[in-house]
Amino acid sequence: MLPRKLRMYLKMHGGRIAIIFSIVIVLIAAVIGLMSLESFYRNLTLATMPMQLILVALNAAIFVFMYLRFMQGGISKVSATRTKGELVNVKWSDVIGMEEAKREAWEVVQLIKDRAKLKQIGGKIMRGLLMIGPPGCGKTYLAKAIATEAGIPFLAMSGSSFDEVFIGVGSSKVRKIFKEARTLAEGYGGCIIFIDEMDSVGSRRVFNAFGSQEKSTTQNQLLAEIDGVAEKDYNIMIIGATNADEESLDPAMLRPGRFDRKLYIDRPNLEDREKIFEYYFSKVKYDKGSVDIKRIARKAVYKTPAEIENIVKEAALIATRDKKDAIEYKHISEAIERIDMGLKHRRHMTPNEKEMVAYHEGGHLVVLYLLHPTDDVFKASIVGRRGALGVVHHQPKEELFTRNRNALLADIKVSLAGYVAENIRFGTTSTGVASDFAQAMRTAHFMVWELGMNDAGFIGDYTIIPESQISEKVKEALNEETQKIFQSCLKDVERLLSKEKDILDRFAQELIKKEELDYDEIDSIFKEYGKSSMKPV
Amino acid sequence: MKFRFLVFLIAGCFLAAALQGCGVTYPKGQFKESVIKLCKKEYNLDVKAETVGKTIAIYVPIKDLLDFNFSITKKAAEQINNVILSVSRAAISTDAAFEFYCIIAHDAKIPELQIIIIKSVEDVKRFMLNDISRGEYSKRMLVDLRLSPQAQKERAIKEVFEKMSLDKKWQEDVMNDFFRSEPTALSDIGYWNEKFYIKDVGLGEFLAEQVANRVKIGFRENKETNEKFLIKASKGTYETKNSKHYFRFEFLNEPKWIKDFQKEEISNTIFKEAVSAASDVIGGYHFNDYEYIEIASQYDGKSLKVSKPDLEGFRKKKIKFEDILTGS
Repeated sequence: MLPRKLRMYLKMHGGRIAIIFSIVIVLIAAVIGLMSLESFYRNLTLATMPMQLILVALNAAIFVFMYLRFMQGGISKVSATRTKGELVNVKWSDVIGMEEAKREAWEVVQLIKDRAKLKQIGGKIMRGLLMIGPPGCGKTYLAKAIATEAGIPFLAMSGSSFDEVFIGVGSSKVRKIFKEARTLAEGYGGCIIFIDEMDSVGSRRVFNAFGSQEKSTTQNQLLAEIDGVAEKDYNIMIIGATNADEESLDPAMLRPGRFDRKLYIDRPNLEDREKIFEYYFSKVKYDKGSVDIKRIARKAVYKTPAEIENIVKEAALIATRDKKDAIEYKHISEAIERIDMGLKHRRHMTPNEKEMVAYHEGGHLVVLYLLHPTDDVFKASIVGRRGALGVVHHQPKEELFTRNRNALLADIKVSLAGYVAENIRFGTTSTGVASDFAQAMRTAHFMVWELGMNDAGFIGDYTIIPESQISEKVKEALNEETQKIFQSCLKDVERLLSKEKDILDRFAQELIKKEELDYDEIDSIFKEYGKSSMKPV
Repeated sequence: MKFRFLVFLIAGCFLAAALQGCGVTYPKGQFKESVIKLCKKEYNLDVKAETVGKTIAIYVPIKDLLDFNFSITKKAAEQINNVILSVSRAAISTDAAFEFYCIIAHDAKIPELQIIIIKSVEDVKRFMLNDISRGEYSKRMLVDLRLSPQAQKERAIKEVFEKMSLDKKWQEDVMNDFFRSEPTALSDIGYWNEKFYIKDVGLGEFLAEQVANRVKIGFRENKETNEKFLIKASKGTYETKNSKHYFRFEFLNEPKWIKDFQKEEISNTIFKEAVSAASDVIGGYHFNDYEYIEIASQYDGKSLKVSKPDLEGFRKKKIKFEDILTGS
């Protein structure tokens, strides 16, 4: 009976007994060793013992520190920003210019707040929210606003912070961030994990020898943690943000139960842009007489909220440089140009060169104004920017999400106009047409090969078919159609510019004289000749 | 509760065992015997020991102490080292307040020839505690190979007795009464006819002899001075005059090529080396019981007297040797 109990005791406390026994043996050996020393050496040993103990303790402390720093918390340390919900301090009312997204996001806030209610009803608690949209559209801002409204801590990090050279470190980071989120959720009743640039951690996995094992491991860990959150019923909401295409994300990431709600945050429309401009203008001093927010909002088509903020900031800088007390319209206009076209880079051109560039840009301008069905010309310039000698800046009056045949043909014509104008005036052309031709050819090719916009009846996307499977005859026919469009456009442009040569000459001379023409100046010159743009408003 | 009791029991046992081993290894009352036993046990050497004041002398007879070149044989050097090690171990692990120990090694065949090694126990301790370097430690040891002064004295006296045709017993009595006494100088220390001739070594005379030795060795080891000078003899003494203590260093030196050196230059070189060695040694031991040092060059009969403040100033590099020389 006793031996059995003893065996059991040894089994239960074997480790502790072994450690104590070892310590006792070591102590006995140390005492025997000390006793066997001559008194001087014993005293010497005893005298140095405290220092040795301190050194051992210091070494141990350094080792533990290094271990914790580099192995536990160093390499795998997550560079997440942690903030309590109320300290995030982005109010719901601060989020402007994304009304549709806000409406959907508000549901998320309600789901976080009314979690218990939802559980009572038996509803499924939402775990993940994926925000998709172009950069600078306010995804992070909206996530912060959600955290503020929900009043729970907010852990924000970039998806790329999980990327590591060493296998396992990324997944370790994921474990750590979720562990921290669970702790915060217990303390504050919930937590939001915001992963920006989600595509870098959630892109499609590649299941072959060349796939990144580290990335797969990190992603698997992230999926496991999201599932873990669901299983253990922590009030943790994972918000991901990406400007990548949804298709590029791993399907496992998007399945219900993980990122089961997707929020598309697009560029703001005209109304939203007005609100955003109003918001940013409310923070600066501006000349209400000259600055027409509606007009600026119309001019800032396709601009994201971040770009709009940048425009206002840039305008303030320009106004300060001009020693003005308030921002004027021209400052805004210059700011938009700077952002869209880049800074001016003046080059010394010969008069002949300058004239050729003026005619080239004048050609673009006339054709754009008279023929283009959607785009307005906002600026024509023969001052160099971003490597170009001149530019005609144009954009649609309003957001357009598709382009019809006429718009595409107009694009080609506008591109070819520089070439035609040079030819009409000088009987020769310059190297400045290269990029125009490339653009025009790309559009014509796209129309014929991919969009079925041709007269030969070739319908379908021929670029999908492997080249070897398309007969030479078909290729020739398609290329002929491309060339037909190209030539047809060229003739139209030649006809138009020959007819409106006076206007072309006038614009060329105006550009030579002023170097830059704004929309208002352009419009008034055309009106002098009784011409007006026939674009829908 | 049981576990705590067990811990206390183990700790108590350790404490008791540790305390029991905390005494000195070589107690004062058995120190001589301990050294003799240690030499026998560790190195199988039969030594004799004697103490006087704060000095212990060890006599070790060695077979083939010197070879035909009059240099110490390898085996003899090893045995002397073993004795030094044993005495050092005992001297630093005892409660006896020994300050110096003296090793007297005799050649078993030629007992008149002896090697005397004198060391300070404090130096051994400081070396063990890495307070002084190995080089400095070896410099702090006095080593002398010489004929036993007592043997020389007795031989001369015996010749006189022979001439006087004195009775053997009478001769022995006279010898014991008048010629076998404790030496007064370090140079008289030795062992002869089963008897120790030792004195209690004082720090002053130890330092005086050390400085003289260092200058002599320094001259010999310095290639430049060795080519030009020859120090035939050096002597350092710690003396008292009008109840004031001072060091006196005498050097019997002569140039190898007289044309290269002026007499004055010879003496100045000696003085400079002696001042340097004296400042190092006396300062190194923090010895303060002296008023000045006196250096005498027997070659030209010149001498230099350096006061204690000047010597300290020289040691601290506040005074240059030239200033001392012109000041004198």
